[in-house]
Amino acid sequence: MAGDVTPDPPALEEVPATDEISDADAMAERLAEAGRAKRASDRTRKILAYVVLSLFVVIAIGPAFYLISPAFRDSVSLFTYPPEWIPSEPTLENYRFLFSSTSYVRWAINTLIFAGSTTLLTLVTNSMAGYAFARLRFPGRNVLFFVVLATLMVPVAAVLAPTYLTVNTIGDWPIIGNWIDIDTYLGLILPSAVSPLGVFMMRQFIETLPDGLYEAARLDGAGEWRIFTRIVLPLIKPALVVLGIFVFMLTWASYLWPLVAATDNEFRVLTVGIASLKGQFVTDWGILAAASLLTIVPVTIVFLFFQKWFVQASMAGALKQ
Amino acid sequence: MTAVDAPAPEMAADDWTMPSLGAAEYRRRARHYRFRTVRRAAGFLSPYLIVWGVFLAIPVGWGIFLSFNQGGIVDDRKFVGFENWTRAWGDSELRTAVKNTSIYVVIAIGVVFALAIFLASLLNRYKRGSNFYKVALYFPLLAPPILGAMMWFFMTHFDFGVLNLIERGIFGGDGINFLGDNPNALLTIVAVEVWRGLGFWVLFYLAGLQSVPEELQAAARIDGAGKWRRFRRITVPTLRPLLLFALVIAVIFNFQLFDSVQVLTDGGPRLGTATVVWFIHKRLFKFQDTGLAYASSIGLLVVVLILTALSFWLLGKRRQREA
Repeated sequence: MAGDVTPDPPALEEVPATDEISDADAMAERLAEAGRAKRASDRTRKILAYVVLSLFVVIAIGPAFYLISPAFRDSVSLFTYPPEWIPSEPTLENYRFLFSSTSYVRWAINTLIFAGSTTLLTLVTNSMAGYAFARLRFPGRNVLFFVVLATLMVPVAAVLAPTYLTVNTIGDWPIIGNWIDIDTYLGLILPSAVSPLGVFMMRQFIETLPDGLYEAARLDGAGEWRIFTRIVLPLIKPALVVLGIFVFMLTWASYLWPLVAATDNEFRVLTVGIASLKGQFVTDWGILAAASLLTIVPVTIVFLFFQKWFVQASMAGALKQ
Repeated sequence: MTAVDAPAPEMAADDWTMPSLGAAEYRRRARHYRFRTVRRAAGFLSPYLIVWGVFLAIPVGWGIFLSFNQGGIVDDRKFVGFENWTRAWGDSELRTAVKNTSIYVVIAIGVVFALAIFLASLLNRYKRGSNFYKVALYFPLLAPPILGAMMWFFMTHFDFGVLNLIERGIFGGDGINFLGDNPNALLTIVAVEVWRGLGFWVLFYLAGLQSVPEELQAAARIDGAGKWRRFRRITVPTLRPLLLFALVIAVIFNFQLFDSVQVLTDGGPRLGTATVVWFIHKRLFKFQDTGLAYASSIGLLVVVLILTALSFWLLGKRRQREA
């Protein structure tokens, strides 16, 4: 904060060379003046900085706020001139249509099932695998870890066809095919829970735990599973929360895999559902605005409560690698 | 491998309390020990490895095999050798897609990095209220890319988009065809993606800037170094390793541009916004010319794997320097 209030000492070049000034008083006067001028230019610069920042804030949140207008208007009014910024006759018609004539509720439930299960599955499998890579010694450990890590960035699109065919093939098998297939929850969830990012994060985190912890537990006769569930899991809770938020946000926002894996309306998720509201030729824009607004409001509320975790989680993807 | 195969300390501890064993007995116990460590590790690893193996490792291998085949999604699969690869090389639509994606990657990353470094340095200097600005700038990342794109329909639509309403109302123009004309459409996509990613990169560079020690800046100031000089000699060198790594990561992610294209333009007008992933998806599930999609999928995979290796190498170099 101090940097804001006290200005920097006047830079050297602003002070005239001493041989031009004979009088010490005049020198002091010149210095004070230079200080005042600097302070004034600092203030303008500061105001300018905040104006620029505020401008970008308006750009960042403006489009979402604007949705309120078309969401509560008749779509026809979008095309009238002069434009109607604030709804003159606010209506809930768009929302009535959304709930009665589209499967919005179904999509929302599917999204929660999809993102929730993917997150849970990721947390369980990744923390276990991370523990094995961090603590257990077994032949081939380094090679296996390298092979798994090499798939860190494999794009969904690059394996879209073979993943689709894998799920489709399993779908033809007896019994298991009833559970894992195109247009099933597991068929949607399992291929979304493959990224090794969490395994890597968990391994890094578990490695930092002190060795004494394990030795003490082992002396008390605890097996690996007991050490994992009773000692390691409680200690890595913060890392689990960060990973959980990261995976949840990534999963519920994903589009390409749900687009091809859940074509049946019964299994559609919000992203695919809302995109399907935009017709090829005719689109009811009011309904689209209503659906988009309704979808981002709950996320925004959750975000405002847990913003610090969110920011940490998003950085985890890039920095903690 | 030596560290992995060596018996754990507890084994040695068991040994010296026991009477000396015969060679055969020792081997038997060593085998038993190894079997036990493998079994234990398998217990912890198998839940992840099964999911990973079936739904990622097998698809990667299968994908490579598929790139020498045609069909298989609705019709029968047939082996065609290198035909897909030679056709992919000459396919004009794929070329356009690669060209568009490359143009998009260069412009979008250039713009978003410049803006992010600029805003991050502002936030680093003017700290009052910076938390509010950080949260607000982060906001676009909350919405899925699909919804972000939907919001921008209401900004850029020719008839009722806010930007066009402003353009007509204030400047009296005829409106700008943001999405229906080239090169406007691709530039609009760039703008939308910059809007979405900016908050992330601001926070990213802010974290980098905050790692520059205050004392270094102060010392340089006392030595009479001007603002630009300090930026060039202190800020840039500290950010450089971060910048390179960020660049590679950003290229990896931006090369996969799909969601906003699919919603806003569906590749049009006249392929003006066709991207590589858009091409793959379209060939697989609309055109049924699957062979080309298989080959370009593997092309994408190879590019991304090379970039991933590069990012790990850069990260390793950074670690080394820190150590």
